[in-house]
Amino acid sequence: MASAGSGDEKAAAAAMITLISSDNEKFEVTEATATLSQTIRHMIEDGCTDGGVPLPNVTSKILARVIEYCKKHATAAAGEEGSSSSFSDAAFLEVDRAFLEELEEFDDAFLEVDRATLFDLILAANYLDIKGLLNLTCQKVADSVKGKTPEQIREMYNIVNDLTPEEEAEIRRETQWAFE
Amino acid sequence: MGLLALQRLMSLQCDRQRHQRRNRHLNGSIAAVGKRKSLPCQQDGYGDSKSAKRMRCSIPELPEEIWHHIHSLLPLRDAARAACLSRAFLHSWRCHPILTLNRCILGSNASVPRENLSCIIDNILRNHTGIGIKIFRLESIFDACNYLDNWLQIAVTPGIEELTLKLCHGEMQYNVPCKLFSDGVQSSIRYLKLSLCAFHPKAELGPLKNLTSLQLHSVRISGDELECFLSKSPALEQLHISACHEIMALKIPCVLLQLRCLKVSDCQKLQVIESKARNLLSFILMGAMVKVSLGETLQMKNLCMSCPNLICSARAELPSTMPNLEILSIGSFDQRVNTPMLPTKFLFLQHLSISLKFTNPSYDYFSLVSFLDASPSLKTWLLDVAYPTMRHESFFGSSSELRQISEQHHGSLDTMKIKGFHSAKSLIELTCYIVKNAKSLGCLTLDTTFGELKCDSGMIGGRCAEMPKDFLTEAGRGAAAIRAYIEDKVPPIVKLTVVEHCRRCHFDSPCEWI
Repeated sequence: MASAGSGDEKAAAAAMITLISSDNEKFEVTEATATLSQTIRHMIEDGCTDGGVPLPNVTSKILARVIEYCKKHATAAAGEEGSSSSFSDAAFLEVDRAFLEELEEFDDAFLEVDRATLFDLILAANYLDIKGLLNLTCQKVADSVKGKTPEQIREMYNIVNDLTPEEEAEIRRETQWAFE
Repeated sequence: MGLLALQRLMSLQCDRQRHQRRNRHLNGSIAAVGKRKSLPCQQDGYGDSKSAKRMRCSIPELPEEIWHHIHSLLPLRDAARAACLSRAFLHSWRCHPILTLNRCILGSNASVPRENLSCIIDNILRNHTGIGIKIFRLESIFDACNYLDNWLQIAVTPGIEELTLKLCHGEMQYNVPCKLFSDGVQSSIRYLKLSLCAFHPKAELGPLKNLTSLQLHSVRISGDELECFLSKSPALEQLHISACHEIMALKIPCVLLQLRCLKVSDCQKLQVIESKARNLLSFILMGAMVKVSLGETLQMKNLCMSCPNLICSARAELPSTMPNLEILSIGSFDQRVNTPMLPTKFLFLQHLSISLKFTNPSYDYFSLVSFLDASPSLKTWLLDVAYPTMRHESFFGSSSELRQISEQHHGSLDTMKIKGFHSAKSLIELTCYIVKNAKSLGCLTLDTTFGELKCDSGMIGGRCAEMPKDFLTEAGRGAAAIRAYIEDKVPPIVKLTVVEHCRRCHFDSPCEWI
């Protein structure tokens, strides 16, 4: 797959995809970046990307962040393919470790967003079917409720309790071990 | 949600036939088709009408499938507590995909009697729908024998990816039923880890197409049964076998083309390992004295094993049989034959670990220089010479001079560590040679102890582990030799660390060894 900025301009142009956000902003990305999204990957395979890919559910603000994530992780995926060390028992894989640490730092910084943005990122990741981004963002929400009581979680995420008091008491009895 | 939105997108762009293909792809993602029907906010998209529809759901902002996914990412205790948040969360708990059941997770309160753990697990499983379990781990639960058949029947269903069964010694008689591996399970399972039980897979078992990792620890299984099971696991990448005492011959069939890592340890009756897997990258053998035949090994990058006189034969044979080694860990008991100087090289070797225990008194440590000279890429070298026989020629009391051989500069070695450093003349010569010739050396650690537990480890009541007096005496001589012959030869750029026995625990008066 040709990367952007390759000497052969034609090949590079062929490997670029235009994504169009809900507010009609256009983003040029390489195919390698775009295909982290399974949704877009299938469209490319089916040849449905001429004239750009409209993404009516994703705003330009969120799409820019999603692309930032995909760019970083597309590089990572390419790096993994090139690396020969695929077995886990090797103790001294310093290069890989440094690379993974850098990626982790990127992910941590990437998640430094307010809740609304985080939820929008989750929705976009789900819509575009980007597994890594979906897991990353969902894990952030999961981490935020760890150790919290049900009352605190309902409050945090505005979750309406539609169980009757009897039902709730029954469930609490059943999961008593988790409250001790 | 995602799926419906996607379909809308697709209809803008592509024809109907193409939809179907995409939908198939989506079945693996969160928006699983079957599950959608049972959920109250099923039809919730997040397109135009999203806000109106969210109002009707008990969970705001995010569609229910996403909350289900988030719920599945929670550790078990948190996930269980979240069950009482709302009806949707209760449903989600009933099909929680990851069940890791052990004492630590279920009974953080130490006062929970161990029989209660079985009751708790029984409750969780009986209330679970049995649908969607991907990972089932049962670890160190006592008195589970009577329940195990039931539990496994509920948990091990098509779609399961990992089954970890770590029973307790009391349960060693438990026979993992072969009928668990139904057709669906055969094709979905990827990781199988069994410990302290019996497993007798039948010859009729179908292929396990996706099994990539198999770990058996203290499992009663015969060599033939294992060989047969392996022949049905063509996707296997990792195989770890430890303490399986009924296996006498371990035969790896040639269909295991994906097998990268083979680790075998402490199988008392094991006599032969015969591997026909052509793409092994890593072979680790510990414990038993075994006849090993690995077939094609040109790709091997990581080798770890020990047997008598291995050090010498490794130096002689491995450069041609395993020319791509990057990590080499070899050990030898009662090593008698010195390492020959040879022109062959380990071109890619970066990490070398050599362990010489109960070495013959005539053994010449200095001959190990051969490894350094053969390995231009070597970065770290760990040499463990603890527990020497005491009859070697100590440099103290020897009249001879230190030997020197022609200098050969080495440009990669960064870290050298010798454990069990003592005053054998040839060991001092080896150290002096390295200090002089390894131009990139950054760290040199000379440890005169045997790596035993120390008083500051907090493990053994504030006292160092007791050591026989003659070992202590020898260790003291080693430290004295470092001060007398090595310290002043170490260039300032090298960080020298000398580790000695703790005086408080081991010696009434210092320096009693000279």
